[in-house]
Amino acid sequence: MSITLSFPLLAQAFVSGTMLGGVFALIAIGLTLIWGVMGIINFAHGEFLMIGMYIAYFLAAKTGLDPYLTILVTVPALFLIGAGIFRANIQPVLKDPVMNQILLTVGLMLVLQNLTLVLFTATPMSIDNPYNRTTFNVGPVVIPLSNLLGLVGSLVGVAILWWFLQYTDMGRAIRAASQNRDAATLMGIDVRRTYLVAFGIGSACVGLAASLMIPFYYVSPLVGSFLGLVAFVVVVLGGMGNVLGALVGGLVIGLSETMGAAILPGSLSRVLTFAIFILVLLFRPQGIFRRSQT
Amino acid sequence: MRKSVLQGRRFIGFALLFLLLTLLPLVLSRLPKGKYYLHIIILVLLYAYLSTAWNILGGYAGQHSLGNGLYLGVGAYVSTVLFLKLGLTPWIGMWIAGAAAALLGWFVGYVCFRYGLKGGYFALVTIALAEAAVYLTTNIRWVGGAMGLEVTWLGHRPLLMQFEGKTGYYYIILVMAALSILYTAWLDRRRFGYYLVAVRENDRAADALGVDPLKIKTQANVISAFMTGLGGTFFAQYFTYIHPRLVFGEGPSVQILLFAIIGGLGTVWGPSVGALILVPVAEFTRAQLSGSFAGASLLLYGAVLMLVMLFMPRGILGVVKNVSQKFGQRGKPTTSELSGQGGG
Amino acid sequence: MSMLSVRHLTKDFGGLTAVDDLSFDVGEKEIVGLIGPNGAGKTTTFNLITGFIPPTGGEVTFDGRSLKSLKPHQICKLGLTRTFQIAQPFPDITVLENALVGAYVRCPSTTAAKQKALEALERMRLSHKAGELAKNLTLIELKQLEIAKALATGPKMLFLDEVAAGLNLAEIDAILELVQGLNDQGITLLVVEHVMKVIMSLSQRIVVLDFGKKIAEGTPDGISRDPHVLEAYLGEEEAIA
Repeated sequence: MSITLSFPLLAQAFVSGTMLGGVFALIAIGLTLIWGVMGIINFAHGEFLMIGMYIAYFLAAKTGLDPYLTILVTVPALFLIGAGIFRANIQPVLKDPVMNQILLTVGLMLVLQNLTLVLFTATPMSIDNPYNRTTFNVGPVVIPLSNLLGLVGSLVGVAILWWFLQYTDMGRAIRAASQNRDAATLMGIDVRRTYLVAFGIGSACVGLAASLMIPFYYVSPLVGSFLGLVAFVVVVLGGMGNVLGALVGGLVIGLSETMGAAILPGSLSRVLTFAIFILVLLFRPQGIFRRSQT
Repeated sequence: MRKSVLQGRRFIGFALLFLLLTLLPLVLSRLPKGKYYLHIIILVLLYAYLSTAWNILGGYAGQHSLGNGLYLGVGAYVSTVLFLKLGLTPWIGMWIAGAAAALLGWFVGYVCFRYGLKGGYFALVTIALAEAAVYLTTNIRWVGGAMGLEVTWLGHRPLLMQFEGKTGYYYIILVMAALSILYTAWLDRRRFGYYLVAVRENDRAADALGVDPLKIKTQANVISAFMTGLGGTFFAQYFTYIHPRLVFGEGPSVQILLFAIIGGLGTVWGPSVGALILVPVAEFTRAQLSGSFAGASLLLYGAVLMLVMLFMPRGILGVVKNVSQKFGQRGKPTTSELSGQGGG
Repeated sequence: MSMLSVRHLTKDFGGLTAVDDLSFDVGEKEIVGLIGPNGAGKTTTFNLITGFIPPTGGEVTFDGRSLKSLKPHQICKLGLTRTFQIAQPFPDITVLENALVGAYVRCPSTTAAKQKALEALERMRLSHKAGELAKNLTLIELKQLEIAKALATGPKMLFLDEVAAGLNLAEIDAILELVQGLNDQGITLLVVEHVMKVIMSLSQRIVVLDFGKKIAEGTPDGISRDPHVLEAYLGEEEAIA
C-alpha cells in the first residue's frame, strides 16, 4: 500500500481538520462544563448530540427548513432535554459514589442509543442541501461552505459560552460552584439549580453542534458513540472544565483525525486518537492547560 | 465469619447442584423447544462465567473496567487465528489465548495502576483500549478485517472443540462457570481476596498495612483478563463467527459488568445471579421483537442498569447482605464506654 | 543501638520547606513523643519516614536497614507500621476482617492470621465488636480499630498519629492505658500528639518541631521548661505542666 504524501493532500487534511476541530470543540465544551462543574463523567453526552442531530434532521428533511435555522429549535430543546434528564436521573444520585453516577450515564447511553436504533434503524441518513455543495477553492484546498459554517458557528458558540461564564451572574455562579461547592453554597448560590442550568447549557451546546453538523455529517444512532468518545478525548486533553482547553483540544483532535487519515491507512487514525487519549490520561490527566478556566 | 461454598455442607449443596445441572441436557432433550432452552442456559453460564471473571477486578478490587471486551476479543481472535492458520485445536489454542490476554492484562493493569488511574479515569482508559482494538482489528486484513473470522465448521469434532448440537458446548461452559465460582469462593476466604477488598475499600490504609496496591490490582487484572480470554475461545467456538465490534465492542463489556452489578459486586454468586435473571429476559425480549437484534437487549440492559443505580446500587445480593447483617447483630450498645469494659 | 535513626530529613514542597534538616533517634522499646504547633511538620515527618511521600533529602534507618526509596507496604513488612490521624478503616467489612488485613502481613494462612487479628482486637478491647461493620463504629472505636489494625501487623515499632484527638477525658485515659500496654509488651513507639496530658505522661523523651525544624529534645520535664518550646507554643504555656 503506497502512501503518497503530497502538499495538496496534507493541506486539505489540515484545513478539514481545523474545521472539524471547531465542531469537536463545541461538542466537548458542553462535556467539559458538565464534568468540570459537577465532576460527572457523562457517558451519554454523545447521545445528546445524536438526539439533537435527529431533531435537526427531521425538521430539515420533513419541513424543508434551512438546516441552520433548526438551531432555533435544537438549542432550547436540548437544554430542556438535558435539564430534564438531569433532574430525573442524575440529581438523585449526586450523593452516591462517583462510579454509580458514571454507570448511570452508561445505562442512559445504552437506552438512548438503542431506543433510537430500534425506532429508526441503523441506516445513516443525510440531508441534501446547498451548503455542502457550495465550495470555495483556496489553492489546492477545497472548502465546503457547510464545513466552514460549522467552524464559524462553533467559534461563535464557544465565544458566547465564554462570555456567559465570565460576565453573567449565572455564569459566575457556575464557575464558583465548579471550584468549590461548599463555598458557593455558603455564598448563597443555589448549587442544585446551578448544576441544573450547567447541565442544560452543556446539552444546549451539543444542540447547536448538531444543527451545525447535519449539512455535512450523516445521522445515525451510532453517531454519538464515536463522537462522544472524541468529546472525552478533547476534554481530557484540554483539561476538565477548561473552555479554552476544549477549543485547543478540539483542534488537535480534529487535525489528528484528518491528517491521520491522510497519512495512515484505513481507520488507523482512530487508533491514533485513542492513543493520544490514553497517553494523556496516564501522564497528564489534568490536561495540557494546568489551570481550570471556567 | 461467613460460610463459604467450600465448607462442609455448602460444598455438598454445590456439588449436588452441579450434578443436577449435568443432567439438564437429558431432561431438555425431551422438550419440544429443548434446544432453544439449552442455548439460553449456555448463554447464562457464559455470561455468569465472564461476569465472575470481571468481578474479581471490578467487585473485589473495586476497579470498574468498562472494557473487558478487550480480553474477550483477544481470546477469541488468538485461538481462532491459530485454528484457521495452523490448524491448532482450540483445546490448546485456548490456553495460548488466555495467556495472551493475561499478558495484555498485565501490561494494561500495570501501566494504568502505576500511574494511579482510578474510578472514572480507569474506566475511560479501558473503554478507549477496547475501542482502539475494534479499529485495529478492523484494519488488519490478516485477521479478517471488518468481515471478521469464521470458525470453519468441520462437523462433529470434539477434539477440535466443535460439537453437533449444543450439549458438548454446554458441558464445557458448565465446567468453566463452576470452576470460576469455586475459585472466587476460594479466594473470598484467602489473603488474596481480603487484600483485593482492602485495596478497594482504602488503598492507602492497605499500603500502610503491608499490602502492595499496585501488585494486587495488577494481579486482579491479570486473572480477570486470563479468565475472560479463555471465555473468548469458547465464545468463538460456540458462535463460530467473530468480528471486531462483536467481541471488542461495548456490548459484551457492558453486559459483563452489568450482571455483576445487578447481582451484587464482590460476592461469589452475584454475577451468576445477575446473569441468571437478565439473560433469559433479554433473550425473550429479543425473540419477541423479531427482526431486531442486539438493540433490543442492550436497551433493556441500559434501562435495568439505570434503575439499579437509582434504586438498588448494591445489587440483589448486596441488599440480601444488608438484611442479613441487620438480623445477625445482637444489638448494639448505646455508648461505647471503654473504661467500663476494660475492667480498669 | 537505636531502632529508628533519622538524619537530616528534609522535605521541600515548591517554595515551602515542610521538614528542615530533622535528625533524631528512637531507641529500642522507647516511647518518644513528637510535638509541635499546628503545621510544624509532624504528620509530614511520619509520611516521609513511612514512605508515603519521598523526601527531598536525608536518610532514615530502621532496625539497621535503610528506608530509602521504600514503599509503605515494604516498610510495614520490615516491622514499622503507622496509624493515620483520621482513622482509615475498611468501611464495608467487619472489625475482625479489618484487623485480619493487617495480620496477613506475617501470617499468610487465614487461620493463623485470624488468631493474630483476634489477639490484636483483644488487646485494644474491641473483641465485642468483631462482627460489626467498620463503618458503624463510633469515633473512639474507630481509633481503637486503627491501632488494632496496626498492631495485628506484628510491628517492632509503631507510629501513632494523634490517637487522642477528639476524645473526651475518660476516653483519653483509656487510650493512654492501651498505648502504654503496647510499649510494655516491647513495641517501640513514636507518638505524635496534641493532647499534652497524653504526651507528657507517656513519653520518655520528646522531640519538638516548629516550622519543620527541631527546636528542642529532651525529657518531658526538660522541654516543658525550655524557653524555645514555650515561645513556639505561645499561649499554650499553661497546657504544658
